This record gives sequence, structure tokens and C-alpha cells, in this order.
Amino acid sequence: MRCRRGRVKEDLTRRLFLYNHMVMQMTLSSASPSDLDAVFAALADPTRRAILARLSDGQASVNELAEPFEMSQPAVSKHLKVLERAGLISRDVDRQRRPAKLEAAPLAAAVQWLEAFRMFWEGSLDQLDVLLATMAQDGKGDS
Amino acid sequence: MADIPTYELERLFAAPPESVWRTWTEADLLARWYGPGVETVIHKLDVRPGGEWLNEMRMTVQSGYQRAEYLEVQPPTRLVMVQSNTDADWNIVANPGMPDWPRAMLLEVTFEAVGEGTQMRLVWSPHEASEAELACFAGVMAQMGGGWESGMAILEEVLASL
Repeated sequence: MRCRRGRVKEDLTRRLFLYNHMVMQMTLSSASPSDLDAVFAALADPTRRAILARLSDGQASVNELAEPFEMSQPAVSKHLKVLERAGLISRDVDRQRRPAKLEAAPLAAAVQWLEAFRMFWEGSLDQLDVLLATMAQDGKGDS
Repeated sequence: MADIPTYELERLFAAPPESVWRTWTEADLLARWYGPGVETVIHKLDVRPGGEWLNEMRMTVQSGYQRAEYLEVQPPTRLVMVQSNTDADWNIVANPGMPDWPRAMLLEVTFEAVGEGTQMRLVWSPHEASEAELACFAGVMAQMGGGWESGMAILEEVLASL
């Protein structure tokens, strides 16, 4: 990334956008913000993250989800309930298989929040780097 | 204490600890780097144990306010403070985007001379947090899977395939 100027600029623009987004989310307190707590709690489990990754390939029934994870159906159902409560998935109520489907919005919000959090420090320290270089330059000028 | 989750960040700077220390303790310097891409206004900076740092970050829509109280000040090696989000009158408030986010965060910064540079280490952890706050912070950190990059990679992969 460091060697390509265009990419660096693009990355910076994205950082600023995400940071502004975070700040707006934090300070303007829009609709149902407490949902993020549930989202992070749901995402804290590696099995549930794996289930989400599987669902990103398309919807799946409890049976289909239980197979690759070598888990019992009740265990999978339990995880699905946590994910559903967090709004990360939805389940088809009309059909017998009740396939689970990934819901993108809460996940996107969680990613932006985390990204912005990391970018705050990374971005600040990048600026500190520049400042220290300027100070070193000024010091040389003085002497 | 050992089970309190922390966020850690390390960075090597091409400047001696004395210079890096100044960037944390002199208001005009601190305002120039703290807060990426925003105008930072420092209303008060009193770097001594019990002293305060009152910080405003001016955004396009409105400002974000932060108050810190210094616990340890050991120039030029160690700086410890408790940080909180506040309203415009410097009253501590919950994070509206995430109510269970810890209201007070302990920030420990250490500066170690490495050659002609400085290894800066930043450790961020919940301060005197409730069970709910600890759980929330732990959830966010666990999400990172020990490293921010790896956690982000998993989520980005999921999102990219939508």
C-alpha cells in the first residue's frame, strides 16, 4: 500500500468518511443505537462468526448449517437465536425449513464502528509522525 | 485485574522520547495530532497527577467532547490518565452509539528510547467498569480476535460477499 500514492489517498478518504460516520453515530444518537451491544455480543463467538460466513454464500437451513460444524441441531438453533436477536440474520417463517438469511445492515454498522475506533488511533498516530518530523526539521533550522 | 480486556497499540517514532513526550504534554502540539482529520481544540491541559485535559473535536455537524484526568506523570517515560466522553459542559455521559461502552477508560502511554527513536506503547482498558461495561468492551475486543487486522479481515470478507 505504501508504494502506491493513489491507493494511500483513497485509503485516507475512506478513513475520514468512516470517522465522520462514527462521530455522527455517537453524537447524534439515531434510531435504536443499543442494538450494537447485541451485535457485538453475538459476534464475540467464533462459531457464530463461522455461521455468518457460511450464510454470506446464501441462505441455509439448520440441517445444512449443522453439518459442516459437526454440531447438533439444537446447538445450531441456539446460535441462530442469538444471531436473530441481534438482527444479524432473519429466518423465513412461512416455510418449513425456516432457512436463515444474513442481514447486512447491523453487520455493516458494527464494522464501521470498529473500523472507526481503530482509525481514530491509527489516524492520530500518523499525524503525530508528521508532527515529529516537522519538529525535528524546525530543531535543525534553529541550530 | 488480569482478565480485564485491553486494547494495545505500539508504534516506533523517529524522534527521542523527550520530543514525543512534548507532543502529549504541550497543548499546541497535542492539538495538532490528536483526532484524525478533525479540528482539535484544547480547553485545558494541566499535565500533573489530578490535573485535567479538556478536549473538543470540532466536526462538520457538531463537536465531540472528552475529559481526561491524569493519574501518573513521569516525564519522559510514562503517562497515565482516565478518559471519558462528556457533554459540552464537561459532564461525563454514556456513549449514545453504544450505551454499555465503558464511561471511563484508562489510558497508559509509555515511551521507551530505542536507538535514536522512541517505541510508544498505548494500553487502553475499561476503568472501574460495571459488569455490563466490561462485557461490552470484552465483546468488541474478542471480535478483534487478538488483533484488529484479523478481526476486520473476517468481517470484511463476510461483507464483501454480500
